[in-house]
Amino acid sequence: MALIRGRDRGTGAQIFTASMADIVFLLIVFFVLTYKVEVDKTQMNLPETWIRKKVPEKAAVISIAPPDKGSTIRVSTGEEMALPVSTIEEVITFASTEVAKNPDREFILKADENSPYARVDEVLDALKQSKVKYIFLLSEQLTASEK
Amino acid sequence: MKIKKKEIASEIFTGSMADISFLLIIYFMITSAFSATRGLDFALPEETDTPEIKQEDSIEVHVMPGGAIEVDKKGLPLDGLLPYVLERLQQNPEKPVILRTDPEATYGDMITVFDRLRRANEEWVDADGNAKYTDVNGNPLTEIKTISIPTQREIENIWNLLGMG
Repeated sequence: MALIRGRDRGTGAQIFTASMADIVFLLIVFFVLTYKVEVDKTQMNLPETWIRKKVPEKAAVISIAPPDKGSTIRVSTGEEMALPVSTIEEVITFASTEVAKNPDREFILKADENSPYARVDEVLDALKQSKVKYIFLLSEQLTASEK
Repeated sequence: MKIKKKEIASEIFTGSMADISFLLIIYFMITSAFSATRGLDFALPEETDTPEIKQEDSIEVHVMPGGAIEVDKKGLPLDGLLPYVLERLQQNPEKPVILRTDPEATYGDMITVFDRLRRANEEWVDADGNAKYTDVNGNPLTEIKTISIPTQREIENIWNLLGMG
């Protein structure tokens, strides 16, 4: 007699995916809220400081690339991507235009820690000539052990 | 005779939602760089209210190539900078600190010294926010009032004015 067996009831191994949509949307919302376009994507080692103040959003950005990348100066209004400039006069023109629009305009200076100070000095001088009042020198956090 | 109506199931097809959501997540993850959003603030003096600074009235900090510092023409370790400035400010709290950096030095060298000067606000104040030190007049001393960073052009202008150019 053939042995009649009941159909095997496979215990279906399932991953519960009903909450996946919730999790995914939560992540999307997080990234949308924290999304910020980085106007200057030049890779550099920022100097480390103990004192760090929050830089204002939408401040104009001036970046000085590391010496091995040609110490190129880039400027951005804080809303568009940074564009390279070839002479220091262009920095003065750019900063003067921004200050003319808003006399209290803040500027962020993003420079590599190995940049020669002479280059930074030129940019600081350009900003002073353009009557800029507030500058933020972008930096990384200095850890307590290095303090 | 009754004819049975066929019910048309109205459903929104959600099968591709997961794909679209993940695509969005990946897009935002990649494009949102964790950019540095903090730094040292620095207010430039307005030309109208720039007081004329006499060299003997100020504390001159000179950053040399390699990061060594000279304060009032004497070599000092970085840790000795704030105690020296404190001692000078106790005699005259209005004394400005002039931070001059050698063009051969790096930006990092200058920032290290500038950051150290800015730390006076933290180091001269105790945990309750009270000043640890007072000046000759008995007023609390909690910060360096003026830190000036002249540019090379300004320094040359001063020299020219003094007839030393």
